[in-house]
Amino acid sequence: MKERIKKAASSKVVVTLVWLFGIAAIWEVMAMRVAETKRTPANILPHIGDIVKSIFDAKMVSNNMTAVQLVLSNASDTLLRAFWGFLIGAIVGFLLAILMKLSKIVEKTIFPYLMLIQMIPILGMAPIILAMTHDIGASRIIIAAILTFYPIATNTLAGLNSVQKEKYELMYSYSASKWTIYRKMLIPACIPYLFTGLKISAPMAITASILVDTLQGDGGLGCILSQSLKHAMSIYVFWQIVLFSAAVGILSCTLMGWIEKIVSPMKRIERKQNSIFARRKEAQYEKEKEKSLATGE
Amino acid sequence: MRKKRKSLWRRVNENTYIQATSGLLLPMAFGVILFALWQTEVLHKIFHTDTFTLPVPTRILSVIVDNPDKVIQNVVATVTVAVIGLVIGSVIGYLVAIIATLFPRWGGGGLSIVAACNAIPIVALAPVMTNWTKDVSKDANIRSMVAKTLVVMIICIASMSVNAYRGLTELKPFSLDLMKSYNAKRRTVFFKLRIPNSVPYIFTALRVSIPASVITAVVSEYFAEYVIGVGRQIRENIVLAQYTAAWGYITVASLIGIVMYVILMIAERILLRRR
Repeated sequence: MKERIKKAASSKVVVTLVWLFGIAAIWEVMAMRVAETKRTPANILPHIGDIVKSIFDAKMVSNNMTAVQLVLSNASDTLLRAFWGFLIGAIVGFLLAILMKLSKIVEKTIFPYLMLIQMIPILGMAPIILAMTHDIGASRIIIAAILTFYPIATNTLAGLNSVQKEKYELMYSYSASKWTIYRKMLIPACIPYLFTGLKISAPMAITASILVDTLQGDGGLGCILSQSLKHAMSIYVFWQIVLFSAAVGILSCTLMGWIEKIVSPMKRIERKQNSIFARRKEAQYEKEKEKSLATGE
Repeated sequence: MRKKRKSLWRRVNENTYIQATSGLLLPMAFGVILFALWQTEVLHKIFHTDTFTLPVPTRILSVIVDNPDKVIQNVVATVTVAVIGLVIGSVIGYLVAIIATLFPRWGGGGLSIVAACNAIPIVALAPVMTNWTKDVSKDANIRSMVAKTLVVMIICIASMSVNAYRGLTELKPFSLDLMKSYNAKRRTVFFKLRIPNSVPYIFTALRVSIPASVITAVVSEYFAEYVIGVGRQIRENIVLAQYTAAWGYITVASLIGIVMYVILMIAERILLRRR
């Protein structure tokens, strides 16, 4: 049994790793072709090795900082603002969802507009919000907050509405107060949905923060990204940012998954059961396959 | 049995007619109030801004109406990018999901990587694509169009493949057992059970990817070589401090998203009528 668990766990990791290697291989092949045919291959597709090398390169790029120092110091700026925006947006979104659940009138009034906000290119509004606030830091936070808030509000509301009628009836039979209903039934029920929203919006907040950076030269990842593209500094700074932002985006999503695991014990149990179930199913599948092979079907 | 007279509140709540009309009237009233506050510059006081950065709605509308040719030209550019990217991306995404369903063990792992694409900031992708498509055409317009379409495509592949995979694998309980009891071939299971089951999931994916494709098209225009498209106009006008025109293009961009979404809703109503 123990071995089988090990096998199952390792096989998924192996599959992902093989895929990653495959993608890296394709990248390298393309990079080799680019290096042969193009005058400035670094602008189009450098070798992965070269990007990694540039991370450990001690050459100063600007302001007495090496490329990686530059990226990291600017990243802290960007990520911090993305985080504040994300936090504000998450809280506002959650509270709004509760408010919509509390009052049907509020839900009916606001919900169509929640759908509408999704259509507005908020990132396109970034420069205007900048013009309104006159402060790049504040506008980064505001835009990250707006982008974060609607996936969370809509998902949480869906979670609150997903509670079955029987559960309400049970609470009613306990003559539970509204506060108890929310605390013991509705809020725990919406937590998985809330995390779905958080997983969607965490990378969005980071994207927003980077994009707003490109608008004004005040430090931040987006700012050095556009400088690097204009060849004000080594192009490898750009590639490092691409890799870094991709990694941070995926990491932010995974981080929400981890937090979810810690916060909701329900999910943990569910996952454990699911994985046992899946393993059983897989074993059964294997057995059937063997059988069908044996019978020559 | 004595029939208890219901309270007015309860009767209002249970009257489907009142509920239906209030679902329409309340948001409209909210919109009208917002519009009035905006037009009478109360909003400006709340946000501590002026009519220069936040023009009143009638001014914005008049800007759109006054330059129909330019607006249409830019709208066409953005819509082409968004729609082509959406269609190609969704088709590829669906094919990826089918492949992942056919080879569950390897496909599942690959799909998790595709899903991770969702978390990659698009800003990082847009300039790369511009660099990649340098040789596609001599015409800067076509070149940057291809670059923008590629970015939209990637976003759509990610959301479509994940949703379609769920549609193809999360079947109704016992339906697979039923197929097995019919001694159905794998192909039959696939065409008669899995594909029909995935149709609602396709619409779920499209509901996410239609707004995303428009926004992605708008944002990738910022980084494109050739100056065209609604998004680029927003930026260009802001650089020139013409905020009214910028607001006009923001409105147009939102309208594109809304119109595409409404078309999707109508299509969904028609196609899923029997479900």
